[in-house]
Amino acid sequence: MQFRLEKRQEPSKFMAYATPVAAVALTMIIGAIIFSLIGYDGVGAVREIFLTPLTNSYKWQDLGVKAAPLIIIGVGLSIAYRANVWNIGAEGQYIVGGLCATGIALLTWGMTGWWILPLMMLAGMAGGMAYASIPALLRTKLKVNEILTSLMLTYASVQLIYFLIRGPWKDPMGIGFPQTRLFSEAARLPTIIPGTIVHLGVPIAVLVAIIAWFIMSKSVFGYRMRVVGAAPHAARYGGFSENKTIWLAMLVSGGLAGLAGMLEIAGPFQRMVPGFPTNYGFTAIIVAFLGRLNPLGVIVAGVVLAITFVGGEVAQTTIGLPNAATGIFQAMMLFFLLAGDILIKYRVRRVMPQTSTEVA
Amino acid sequence: MDASMPHRLELIGITKQFPGVLANDNISFSVRPGEIHALLGENGAGKSTLVKMIYGIMQPDAGEIRWNGERVTIANPKAARALGIGMVFQHFSLFEALTVLENIALGMDAKIPARELEGRIREVMTRYGLLLDPHRTVATLSVGERQRIEIVRALLLDPKLLIMDEPTSVLTPQEVEQLFDVLRKLAAQGCSILYISHKLHEIKALCDTATILRGGKLVDTCDPRQETSRSMAEKMIGGGLKDLVKARDRVFGEPRLHVNGLSMPAPDHFGTALKNVCFTVRAGEIFGIAGVAGNGQNELLLAMDGELPTDPSAIKLGDLPAGAMSPSARRRHGLSSVPEERNGHGAVGVFSLSDNSVLTARERPGMVNMGFINFGAAKTYTRKVIADFSVKALGAGSTAGSLSGGNLQKYIMGREILQRPSVLVVSQPTWGVDAGAAAAIHQAILDLAEAGSAIVVISQDLDELLSLSDTLAVINGGQLSPKMQVGDASIEEIGLLMGGVHGNTEAPDAIPA
Amino acid sequence: MDLTLAIIVTVVGASTPILIAALGELVVERSGVLNLGVEGMMLIGAIAGFVVQFHTGNPYLALLCGAAAGMASSLIFGFLTLSLSANQTATGLALTIFGTGFSALAGSSYSARPVSLMEPLFPAELAAHPVWKVLFSYSFPVYFSFIMVVVIWYFLHKTRAGLILRAVGENDQSAHSIGYSVIGVRYMAVMFGGAMAGLAGACFPLLLTPQWAERMTAGRGWIAVALVVFASWKPFRLLAGAYLFGLVMTMELYAKAGGGVLSIIPSELWAALPYIATIVVLVLISLRRDASTNAPACLGKPFLPSN
Repeated sequence: MQFRLEKRQEPSKFMAYATPVAAVALTMIIGAIIFSLIGYDGVGAVREIFLTPLTNSYKWQDLGVKAAPLIIIGVGLSIAYRANVWNIGAEGQYIVGGLCATGIALLTWGMTGWWILPLMMLAGMAGGMAYASIPALLRTKLKVNEILTSLMLTYASVQLIYFLIRGPWKDPMGIGFPQTRLFSEAARLPTIIPGTIVHLGVPIAVLVAIIAWFIMSKSVFGYRMRVVGAAPHAARYGGFSENKTIWLAMLVSGGLAGLAGMLEIAGPFQRMVPGFPTNYGFTAIIVAFLGRLNPLGVIVAGVVLAITFVGGEVAQTTIGLPNAATGIFQAMMLFFLLAGDILIKYRVRRVMPQTSTEVA
Repeated sequence: MDASMPHRLELIGITKQFPGVLANDNISFSVRPGEIHALLGENGAGKSTLVKMIYGIMQPDAGEIRWNGERVTIANPKAARALGIGMVFQHFSLFEALTVLENIALGMDAKIPARELEGRIREVMTRYGLLLDPHRTVATLSVGERQRIEIVRALLLDPKLLIMDEPTSVLTPQEVEQLFDVLRKLAAQGCSILYISHKLHEIKALCDTATILRGGKLVDTCDPRQETSRSMAEKMIGGGLKDLVKARDRVFGEPRLHVNGLSMPAPDHFGTALKNVCFTVRAGEIFGIAGVAGNGQNELLLAMDGELPTDPSAIKLGDLPAGAMSPSARRRHGLSSVPEERNGHGAVGVFSLSDNSVLTARERPGMVNMGFINFGAAKTYTRKVIADFSVKALGAGSTAGSLSGGNLQKYIMGREILQRPSVLVVSQPTWGVDAGAAAAIHQAILDLAEAGSAIVVISQDLDELLSLSDTLAVINGGQLSPKMQVGDASIEEIGLLMGGVHGNTEAPDAIPA
Repeated sequence: MDLTLAIIVTVVGASTPILIAALGELVVERSGVLNLGVEGMMLIGAIAGFVVQFHTGNPYLALLCGAAAGMASSLIFGFLTLSLSANQTATGLALTIFGTGFSALAGSSYSARPVSLMEPLFPAELAAHPVWKVLFSYSFPVYFSFIMVVVIWYFLHKTRAGLILRAVGENDQSAHSIGYSVIGVRYMAVMFGGAMAGLAGACFPLLLTPQWAERMTAGRGWIAVALVVFASWKPFRLLAGAYLFGLVMTMELYAKAGGGVLSIIPSELWAALPYIATIVVLVLISLRRDASTNAPACLGKPFLPSN
């Protein structure tokens, strides 16, 4: 008996939703085996990374706070990737968004007023958009590959943080630490559940995803993104200019990454530090794919990835698993998901050798 | 020919099943040495599947293949070539960025040093009059020249059977004559030729025997010289031919589309520049544009429907300069188009038909409100297209990619025609479409013209243009010939124009060797 | 004179890993596959090379194991994109994420533990005179990278196997219909690219900084990918590109060390310079008229035989 792939007449909707779930499940099973083989407590690692954050209600607020930026960035990336615009520099746009918000916070330091946070939000989004517009400009005017440019800009943006917090923005009271001063009260994101760390960014993330889902599935904008990604020639024939679409995709994904940067700096961080780049921009790539480039799916995927982050920290303290293990689990999830993609367009058929004269 | 000699190729009861289709059902026929044997049939009749099995690309589910009287299993193309079977595909397996020599070297199973190979290539080329520079890059060659590479490649192996798959669909009438000379020369030397075509007059001119397939079954094996074109066509299609209903003495109204001095650089490395293209199409007129593929047809369509912007006054809809308008704006002003490539250009394969209606019909029939799409309206419109143009589909929700070529083309034509365009530009309306669908598409074009639209039909199929259009011009190297009345034009004249001979206005620089 | 010499030696050291990784990626892309996982494969090669060097002290074995580890990781990419025709861009990114995590995990117990650098290939006497030093003071990977430029050029343009590889990258359907194994050729190319990336990664602890540091390749893999575009898929142009970048990175080192005029510019800008230079280089190459015409026609597209 052997197996053969056979093209489906219609892509399978069931498989499109089932494969992400299967990818997570397989990651847990195979991950446990692999980590056991290399000498760690594999089952314990999977339990701590994937289950403890869920069963331990004390960790839920961490989940929300970690999931929020992943969801916001992931939503933006899912829109861009739909249109085949490969913005992989969300981390850089997140950083620049955070820096712009920091700039406002420092300018208004010591002031009070309800307008400071919205202004920071606008500055964060504008910063993310501006940074994303560099690859957009180069791609549309000169056909320079946006993957490479957006990524290179990420590396450059990290240096921009270092430059600012060691130089012009350095905390005068910081006894030499490279960091800015603590934001004043008016530039800090309020918590929405008293006594927890759950800040305003969490409901904003859910809202962003729901609005994005509505726009992507019901509007001409969403149609434009889908058709440009699925068949660029047909899109041009239908009157959707490719360049305009690239701009829109880059601006939306950059703007949302910038927004996430602002929410992080005004929420958990409350000052710019060298550790601000937390790889959310890269992890959100996995979130976008695991969520099947669907904003509602991104919410679920964002929570799943947040679980691995929180769980990774748990496993570090409880069973001494190095933090890097989280990254491996995340990459495995993406590998399994990509491997499963083929089941959407193909079905596996069992072929009995005796009924087939096919010569392979 | 000696009747006692074994058949060069004999097929006995060849059967091939695909999921849902019986592509070949118990096919048996044979080819003698030196015979030119036609394999005749419509698209989807099973010709390609059959020759793929002879050439070892596929294996039959049942039946046997005999070669010089002995039963053989042809496991792969390499085995076929080792037996002495050569094949020239309809879609060339060429590498644009590589040279002629490199392309031929890739097709050789034996490792031959480049210099020796070049010598042998030159020898074959001179013997059969297939002239080419071995060091030119394929991207710079015309379609006819590219076919010569494929033929040379096959001839280098000294084949005993040469399979030609629809070889003339891309050639000018003059190039067709040259090809026939080569094939006759080969046959005279004892090489058998299996000639696949659906062009009846060619088969009558060239072939000794014709095997006709329909729906995977063998209908008849006959002598084409004893048959009329009509009798063979009826065997090929099954039942009587339906004639097109075309009103006589048609009168044309106001000019609807002016193309005036349209020049445009090639959009990319492999494209063709348009040079001062001028024509006018009136209401009710069907204007045909003939030409060999790759002479600027795609660029002309893209310029007309707005996918490539041009000088504003180069294209006018009525009096309105439209050259700089986007495709959407042109559609708003009544210009619709149907591109050559259906899946991926005219429609999105992975989208439902309903979503495909949103692609071009979102504005005229009104499916958009404040930037949001009314999917109910799209579904209603799609159902109407499916019903009015008898598209075989499970419903508005089935994906475009799941439709057959002919049905998808009917859907796209219907989607554009139901928007009542005042100008319709269609490229290759029936390329790869079965006869029934082709007839329906032709009738739809005629009806739209009857209703007063101006229509441009771009086609490589000269027969189609001669039966369909009122006026005709030929495109070559991005230049369009003057417009002529269909009744006044001779095939020979059109053929010369297709080959790049522009009467006395141009030096005959591009006559094929 | 001494400073010039020292600069040349540093430039060569900085350029070599980029050149080796880019040569591998060039072959991969010529076969029609876009593997964006170079950075990840380099990190895997780097940790493998480091661990072997740490335990055995045999740098040749370390290089070999780095290459083997890179090749093994490229097989994950190959299986997903070639056998399962997964999206190449996404799979390449996944490989980079995986490589980053894997190397960090494997290296977590080796931080701040030094190894010895690789010795020069030729005896010190040969490199005694300054002029000879420019030629003979390097270790094996440097000479290897130069030889590979010529070998890959010869392979691609003068051998039948190279012709087949280019054909597969130009038109996979045609290559398939003539009877070549598109998937087989691409597997070979991807594995070669993986081995080269792994070897390039192993050069970091063996040639540049003799210890393990997380993400020690610092985006050099991505620069290698960019260089292939810059070089229009031609090996000799790759040589020029890699040395240009080596020069930029060397200037950064000298700026950090307080090298006179260079220190007027903030060190963060120097650190950002290789990345900004990559963008500038990509812009410059796009201004050429024939910029994209050399790109293999099937680059990045999954191959599914049409019958």
